Amino acid sequence: MSDPFADLPASTRDDIRAALPVARRRLAETGTWLTGAQRVAIAAEVRQAWDCALCKERKATLSPYGVSGEHDTLGELPAAWIDIIHPLTTDSGRLTKSWYEGVRDAGVGEDEFVEIVSVAIVAVTMDSFCVGVGIEPPDWPEPVAGEPKRVRAEEATPGPGWVSTIAPENVRANMADFYANESYFYIRRSLTLVPDELPKFWDLMTPFYMSDPRIEELGDLQRAISRGQIEFLAARASALLGCYY
Amino acid sequence: MSGDHSGNEYDLSLVMEGRDADGGLPNGAILSRFAEGICQRDLAKTAAAREKVVAEMGEAAMVDAAAVIAAFNAYPRAADATGIPLEDAKAEMTEGLREELGLEAFNTGGV
Repeated sequence: MSDPFADLPASTRDDIRAALPVARRRLAETGTWLTGAQRVAIAAEVRQAWDCALCKERKATLSPYGVSGEHDTLGELPAAWIDIIHPLTTDSGRLTKSWYEGVRDAGVGEDEFVEIVSVAIVAVTMDSFCVGVGIEPPDWPEPVAGEPKRVRAEEATPGPGWVSTIAPENVRANMADFYANESYFYIRRSLTLVPDELPKFWDLMTPFYMSDPRIEELGDLQRAISRGQIEFLAARASALLGCYY
Repeated sequence: MSGDHSGNEYDLSLVMEGRDADGGLPNGAILSRFAEGICQRDLAKTAAAREKVVAEMGEAAMVDAAAVIAAFNAYPRAADATGIPLEDAKAEMTEGLREELGLEAFNTGGV
């Protein structure tokens, strides 16, 4: 079997080399709420979103929700899921509570929503890295067969944002170390409604960024850029995406 | 604006605007262009910026920069898709900075 990441630059860190194929494989596995086939279809739709004429038109306007039309899709997923994936991919800084309520009213369950978002973001992240280092993003893998268990995390409570999350004081054994290092920031909590998705998301993000952002300097972290440059890139990318948080 | 820990002076407006100035941060301008290319999915811009980053900072630095930019293609999306607010302590700490940089323009979450 060929290595889908064989063309990575020679100086790519070992932890990144290890994380990428794992993240890619996990995309295609059965989730808590979605089948492997649905998850791969989401990842494929993320790539499609960049070529969507409606998304391009909305991105170019001051008022994206004033532009109506149909998305250019691959035709595999429900329209309500496309209404999540496409704007999340191409114009996430202008997502609103009305948008969220709209997709929920269209029939997307809260738990499904979180898993769709998590899968789509992992796909965007992997592709962003490939674009950055100049390699062709690999094909998504064949989906793994299986039925999702579709069991809600009953310890979740509403908030702090639009979706329910699992607060640090409510974690169970399956999330025992998740909030270690006083990592109570809301971004850490944002996708906890589907606990089994958390390692799929954070095991990719940690080597890309760092596990404990409280550190002032790099310490034992092996990086070829400085702490200041890291935080500048973090802030610049966030600003480019129009992210308030 | 100064770095509280390092004592260095940084022009943080570079975070909000792409300019051909480093803003006090070594290689800030070329890193900014690299972030722009990736976030905008402009392959030509990314390639040109990547070449400059490699030439000035080395391949390993380019890879690490791409990794951070990729991670911060994830976190903002997670935040914006779930509508998480700023933590109270962070909101208080950054009030002046947010005003100075015009960050409230991004605050659409309550709509």
